[in-house]
Amino acid sequence: MQELRDLARQLLADETVDVVVGWEDSPRGARPIFAATPDDAGKLIFDTRCLHDLATYLNPRRKQVTDLGKLAIVVKGCDAKAVAGLLREAQLERDRVVLIGVRCGGVCEDSMAPEPVALTPETVAPRCFGCDNREPRLVDHLVGEAQPEPPGPLLSLDERVAALDALTPEQLWEYWTAQFDKCVRCYACRQVCPLCVCERCVADKSRPQWIETASHPRGNFSWNVTRALHLAGRCVGCGECERFCPSGIPLATINRKLQLVVEERYGYRVADDPELKAPIGDFRLDDQQEFIK
Amino acid sequence: MSEALYLTREALQELVAGLLAAGTAVIGPAHAGGPRIPGLEERERPTAKGIYGSLEYREVGDAAELVLGPGMPRLSLKQFFLPQSEDLFAWKQRGAEVAIRETPTTFNPRVVIGAKPCDAAALEVVDAVMNWEYRDELWNGRRAATTIFALACAVEDQHCFCPSVGAAPDTIRGADGLLTPVDGGFLVETVTDKGRAFVEAHRARFAAAPDGAAGQARAFRDAATAKVGENTRIDAARVQDWIENHFEDPFWATLGVRCNGCGACTMVCPTCHCFDIVDEEEGVGCGTRRRCWDTCQAGKFTLHASGHNPRADQIARYRQRINHKFAIYPVKFGDVLCTGCGRCVRTCQMGQNIGEILVAIDEHAQR
Amino acid sequence: MTDTSGTSGVGGGDRFEPRITAFVCNWCTYTGADLAGTSRLHMASNVRIIRLPCTGRIDPLFVIKAFERGADGVIVSGCHPADCHYTAGNYHARRRFAVFHDLMGFVGVDPARITFSWVSASEGAKWRDVVNDAVSKVRELGPFTAYRTLNDHNVSADHFDWVGELAQASLGEGGEA
Repeated sequence: MQELRDLARQLLADETVDVVVGWEDSPRGARPIFAATPDDAGKLIFDTRCLHDLATYLNPRRKQVTDLGKLAIVVKGCDAKAVAGLLREAQLERDRVVLIGVRCGGVCEDSMAPEPVALTPETVAPRCFGCDNREPRLVDHLVGEAQPEPPGPLLSLDERVAALDALTPEQLWEYWTAQFDKCVRCYACRQVCPLCVCERCVADKSRPQWIETASHPRGNFSWNVTRALHLAGRCVGCGECERFCPSGIPLATINRKLQLVVEERYGYRVADDPELKAPIGDFRLDDQQEFIK
Repeated sequence: MSEALYLTREALQELVAGLLAAGTAVIGPAHAGGPRIPGLEERERPTAKGIYGSLEYREVGDAAELVLGPGMPRLSLKQFFLPQSEDLFAWKQRGAEVAIRETPTTFNPRVVIGAKPCDAAALEVVDAVMNWEYRDELWNGRRAATTIFALACAVEDQHCFCPSVGAAPDTIRGADGLLTPVDGGFLVETVTDKGRAFVEAHRARFAAAPDGAAGQARAFRDAATAKVGENTRIDAARVQDWIENHFEDPFWATLGVRCNGCGACTMVCPTCHCFDIVDEEEGVGCGTRRRCWDTCQAGKFTLHASGHNPRADQIARYRQRINHKFAIYPVKFGDVLCTGCGRCVRTCQMGQNIGEILVAIDEHAQR
Repeated sequence: MTDTSGTSGVGGGDRFEPRITAFVCNWCTYTGADLAGTSRLHMASNVRIIRLPCTGRIDPLFVIKAFERGADGVIVSGCHPADCHYTAGNYHARRRFAVFHDLMGFVGVDPARITFSWVSASEGAKWRDVVNDAVSKVRELGPFTAYRTLNDHNVSADHFDWVGELAQASLGEGGEA
């Protein structure tokens, strides 16, 4: 992606930024790179393996990143929504980051493939289905050629949610407790999520301890449910939580469920517009209350 | 090792059935049992992460469930000796009276069939710290109750590097016996008294090794040794020395910045053993003390009660991981805290590659 | 698994008596519940009330904690929309509870275990109805032992009973901690 490399070199050369955060090719497929030199800028790529939501590096608590100086970051549409979320919540100031938007036609499921992966229903990541932001708007620069819509996946997140919605409470309990049994409380889901930026996560609070920290299913239930709730209306559907989970828990399905809930109840769809008010923290006098006696 | 015996697939079936009937749990690599969304069973693919497919170590109900061939379970054997969450004791308290009920440290017998050699070796490596100044009787109890038959490995992929860190595709470290695939079954060699006792107790299942089996086994293992020889190779002693003498080197900053601190690498690692201990109240004046897996990559891992955190950023934390595994542990216990299984490399979604890092350190060390 | 939810009041005998925790706002529902009491309205006595200034203060973690500690059901109740003592607390709560309600249903907690209601200070009778209804629904569902003993497979089978017995004993003896 020569356009991206040239832009990065220029931003570094005229000292607009100190570091350009993007992707490089590596022995582990596509992975993040913090390009601070023209040589490093020459390594920037963008292909279907670039799944990572680089907005996670904008977490103001990541001292090792803020120490690098002013950043430019490469963002896909979903990543730009995450940046908008951080701006909306005053975790970031707009003039402290340069956003390089990239036109995206979808990503595959495996960032570590040795070569870019052609997208088919078998290979495309379920998170891409229904994407409405293939040309991100919240950007200072936009690179790349227009991309076709990604193919539909074999099984979309919405289909998974719908299948679960059709089950009885007993079946759902059995399914989710078995999933949460696998959780080892590494908090990878939280660490990678671009919107999980709290200086002190409620899970780390110990006086009092609200969320049991031991990794038995009861504690895991509390953690996973709470995290999903704290992301309601904020989750951008980047799918990284599920990808990072070393135990293979379908976290993107839970977060997608709540995305659908806020869409259905409050007409809210997350977008890369920082002026758009998030649904939780806002209210209308005529909000739905069918579940309240 | 002792004289080699032979175990056919059929005999393995009978062996496992016999063990299960006698109340001995059988653990080995097997496809993940679930859970599946009812109605979507055919369409859901097991979460595939590279070579793992859906393999995991678990208790099996039948020898047919065991996958004894290529493939690596996603998590290591660690969970069977240091469970991800383990009760230490329960307490009840009323005023000044306290009653404690401790978790027993004797366990039902178990047999592991088909352990990856790197996973078995890891147990031996961690035995050292579990019997250091304090003897961890829960770990020891589980170790004592378990007989482990490792399965010689054909080398999974380019990320394995066991020979550089004191293991090998056919290492016998940590194992009570070693199985090597040959025609029709496995060559079986016992390593420890426990392994010999196991074979004696089930002598009928084991036959004399047929002609050519030993040769086949040797060929299998030689091929594996050659294959892993093409992977990452480092001089662990040289790496240790560099780490010990370059704590402030700018090299560390290049590693920590990409890391998210997610801790997935430590969770899947067979040698990582850090745990947290928590007291969980479960009622008024009663509760349970538990320990559960923890990770040095977590931001608050070294947070002091004073508020000071000596490892306040990811650079310091990532450096700690490499330091502990490749310098501190060898100094204390004479063993690298790593058996080269490569899981951390395959699991890290941000592309941290310990092979790459060790090679870089080794190169620095040679300048 | 021994049923450790125990008896807690009305009836006695062998009938399962659910333990219900109610998180209510001070200005409306708490006062309404008080009115139900002073009016001598008959209602199930299985409910333990926790008073908060406003439903806006109620964090879903309170409900989760209640289940962890032995509640079989939970009631969350406050002022009607437009009547919040702090103007908008219940509007925020309404959205939060909607999402919480949908999520708990999605992960398999029977929605009948969590009751949400608006009960004003003058609605003593409504509080009685909410309580009786919640108690009978949860009684029908049975104890929520499944939650607090969630697959704790690391322990011996009777371990939790021992801890649970103590919880029983300590509560029964006046909750001396």
